[in-house]
Amino acid sequence: MRIGTAKQSYAHDESLFDTRTQWVWLGLLGVSLLLFPFVVDDYWLYLACLVAINIASATGLNILTGYTGLVSLGQAAFMGLGAYTVAILEQRFGTPAVLNLVAGGAVAMLVGVVVGIPSLRVKGLYLAISTIAASFILHFVFANWSSLTGGTGGMTVPPANFFGIPLDTSFRLYWLIVPVALTMLVCAANLFRTRIGRAFIAIRDRDISAEVLGIPLLRYKLTSFALSSFYAGVAGGLWAYFFRVVTPESFPLMMSIFFLAAVIVGGMGTILGGILGAIFMTMVPEVLKLIVGWLPLGSEGAVILSPVRTIVFGLLIVGFLIFEPLGLQELWRRVRRFFHLWPFRAQG
Amino acid sequence: MEQKKIIKWLGSLAAAASLIAAPLAQAEEEIVIGGSIPMTGVFAFAGIGIHAGITDYVKMVNDAGGIKGRKIKYVPEDTGYKVDASVAAFKKITSQNKVNLYYGDSTAFAKTINPELERMGSIMMAGASFATEINDPKKYPNQFLVGPDYTEMMGILMRHIAKEKPGAKVALVYSDTEFGRDPIDEGEALAKKLGLNVTGKIMTPPGSVDVSTEIVKLRRAAPDYTIFHGYVLAPIPEFISQARKMGMTSQFMGTFWSMDNSMVMKMGEAAEGFMGVMPFRYYYESDAKAPMLDKIRKMRPEYQSNAYMQGFLTAMLFTEAAKRTLDAGKPLDGKNLKASLNTIKNFDTGGVVGVPITIRGNSIPVGRIYRFDAKQQKMLPASDWIHLD
Amino acid sequence: MDWLYLLEISLAGIGSGGLYALTALAFVMIYKATKVVNLAIGEMLMLGAYLMFGMASNLGWPIWVAIVAAIIGSGIGGAIVERLAIRPMLGESPISVFMVTVGLSSVMIGLVELIWTADQQRLPEFMPSDPIMLGEAFISPKLFYGFLVAAALIIIALVVFRFWRGGVALRATASDQAAAYSVGINVPRVFSLAWIAAAMIAAIAGIVVGSIGGLSSSMGVFGLSVLVVVIVGGLDSVLGALVAGLGIGLLESLAGGYLGGEFKLLATFSTLILVLMIRPYGLFGTHEIERL
Repeated sequence: MRIGTAKQSYAHDESLFDTRTQWVWLGLLGVSLLLFPFVVDDYWLYLACLVAINIASATGLNILTGYTGLVSLGQAAFMGLGAYTVAILEQRFGTPAVLNLVAGGAVAMLVGVVVGIPSLRVKGLYLAISTIAASFILHFVFANWSSLTGGTGGMTVPPANFFGIPLDTSFRLYWLIVPVALTMLVCAANLFRTRIGRAFIAIRDRDISAEVLGIPLLRYKLTSFALSSFYAGVAGGLWAYFFRVVTPESFPLMMSIFFLAAVIVGGMGTILGGILGAIFMTMVPEVLKLIVGWLPLGSEGAVILSPVRTIVFGLLIVGFLIFEPLGLQELWRRVRRFFHLWPFRAQG
Repeated sequence: MEQKKIIKWLGSLAAAASLIAAPLAQAEEEIVIGGSIPMTGVFAFAGIGIHAGITDYVKMVNDAGGIKGRKIKYVPEDTGYKVDASVAAFKKITSQNKVNLYYGDSTAFAKTINPELERMGSIMMAGASFATEINDPKKYPNQFLVGPDYTEMMGILMRHIAKEKPGAKVALVYSDTEFGRDPIDEGEALAKKLGLNVTGKIMTPPGSVDVSTEIVKLRRAAPDYTIFHGYVLAPIPEFISQARKMGMTSQFMGTFWSMDNSMVMKMGEAAEGFMGVMPFRYYYESDAKAPMLDKIRKMRPEYQSNAYMQGFLTAMLFTEAAKRTLDAGKPLDGKNLKASLNTIKNFDTGGVVGVPITIRGNSIPVGRIYRFDAKQQKMLPASDWIHLD
Repeated sequence: MDWLYLLEISLAGIGSGGLYALTALAFVMIYKATKVVNLAIGEMLMLGAYLMFGMASNLGWPIWVAIVAAIIGSGIGGAIVERLAIRPMLGESPISVFMVTVGLSSVMIGLVELIWTADQQRLPEFMPSDPIMLGEAFISPKLFYGFLVAAALIIIALVVFRFWRGGVALRATASDQAAAYSVGINVPRVFSLAWIAAAMIAAIAGIVVGSIGGLSSSMGVFGLSVLVVVIVGGLDSVLGALVAGLGIGLLESLAGGYLGGEFKLLATFSTLILVLMIRPYGLFGTHEIERL
């Protein structure tokens, strides 16, 4: 039962994890992440890698939409940029994987800054729609700049090369994807302890007031776009190494909607929200498949699975927005608060 | 702190699940056909047919005792015609079964999974794709096409045109997708070689509603023959009905996926005279002895689509390759299965394909031209069986 | 310079622009009354078309009965959606409501796939199909009649908004809900009315679009192009919907005709970005003044 913590220094106050209990849980998590690939089969490893990639991208979107309040429906297109960059570099030059990922992030970042320029003139929904436009234009480039991108046929990606070991199974890719995703998470969490992060939050709450307080809007809005698209670019690069084929159809608008839904369902504006949302949205189709498999529907079951999945997806978004706008992380916090004082109750 | 708890739970859940799933859910000595089948989504009409075709053939073989006493197990998963779902299905099925043969739902999936197939080496794959790129035994040694590739289909159509009307004007209408663009350049080159005049190459944006602009372009091209490729149904009927109303005299042709009888019937008035190339017989044909077709008609009293035929034939070829491999005493892996497949020469498919087939490389370059007869509401043969090699 | 070609392409563009304008009208109606950006407009269009398909083909009703029934059914659907999903979101941030419509569009697509499968379908023919010839130039008959329907409805809408009490009430509710309440306008009823009307218009547009291009569960993609139209025209301007609809239709047609089919969407979205930079509120939209 933890009612409060005594903090005796500013550094302690600012830290991300402040009690012994939290560090113990962190340690357990680290150990279980290390052991995970050795105890599960290929399919779960595949899921784990996919979830990690989605967490990385959702966190990036969270920075832009959850913390800075700039709605973006272009996350998938930025991932595509990162994926294509990695594909081109890997196929033509064979440069090391980490370098390719950073390059992918950088390219996505540059384009993200350009896409973010309208954010000075337009706000809210108009900005969201201009990101849709940007993603269509990028799709056009992917499909038609055939000499670079292989056109509508796309490109195959040779496996990532880590000091001579080709990363071609889910088991091996796990060791690339999960540490990268974790690093990105920690960086994002730390971002909001710095001045830049606080500026983002100020812009979200009331950007005119933020400007009055002396925060240069354009610079910080563009930084937010840059960071979030960097995250998307790296996630896209990981995606390219994971699926090994990149086509213009791999990053449709639906994927951007998926990530936005993950951020909303998880909880906008919190790191935990990004994580929970990504895990939830990735695992829901799997759980649905299991449920439909248990129901006595025979082969009819497989046919209704896809529309049911689409309906559930839509209902989740609508349901969370109406009933729990703060998302899954809020549900989690409520559970935690309950257990903080257990066996006592919070108030009389 | 929160995420650790969740991930920890996930981890232990996963460990528990894997312990339960660990004993391979498969009787010893079973031959497994896995499938990423598009039973829902835009290709659902084809996926359901393919699924039925494979299921029926596997049942037939198992009822007759299997292959050398070994039963065949067919393990499908729905993919909605999405690549990541196909890959996920592949991983799931291969982790739970020892898979020997696999059916893939799309060109994109075939390309994605190829490196994995080469690495695993244990599976031979075919699928719903007829992409020209896959018809390359060097690049895709563990895969094959169940029919001619799209360029070969175009070739069959063009040869028919050149025979009926030498020097004719041809227009190509295709969709702006990988599927649509596949055979266009080679098709155009082939047309020139055959002395045909390609007066129009018209591309429609995928999912476009209105094709008036493209119809205007088609009128300009004033072709004798118009070949559609990259579509299942829309926008072909629009093109045809408006072109006819405008007084265009072009004949209209399509490739495999727009050739199913039920799809063509949906075209309404525009269907009359619609032609195309089909490597397999239609469900209702009875012009020659076709014992397999009779069996199919007995098993399934309702009309089955050309997708069903494709699935059926795939299962037949899978089974034949497995049989030949086992007869030679070799283990069932990708290389041996493919080698056995390539020994198929003048093989009688029981009437599914009208002539005995030979699989030299990665495709079966055989087909026949059919034309839709509005009075009988059926696609009827309009040429002999054409071999391309 | 092939003038005939240009004329034909332009006519085709204006015709399809009429369809855009019609759908944009439905969109603007919702925005004008409830300030909701309804991304599900394409799916509402699809539902209307499928309702007609279901009634005409599956239930075998006569075509015109099916059309009327589909329109009414769509209106009922709009009322239900408004009551269940939009009303509870009153007062929430516009982004949240926008995401709700995104969720709704998924639900609608799933419903259609569940009942009718994702196969492509064709609507039974009900429009005269002789080609319309303007001299030498050819116009597709369906586009022509679709355009007439669109023009008629838009003119009706313009008149309604200007002169009918209901239309004025709608505009009042849009500019200031609290003031509208205090003048005695039944605001919730106005909301329902707006959504019902918009759903019915979307159904009409859907039937026309469906009869041209066929039905499929991905028809809703049409809504994205309409989004461009309303941004360019102004989110709350009926006249803007008309002008921008025709303009974008023409632009797409010209791009498709002279550059190639793959440039259609590119042209549309580039225009969008251009307009956003120069006139962010669209050609005819009202400038939103943000107050601290």
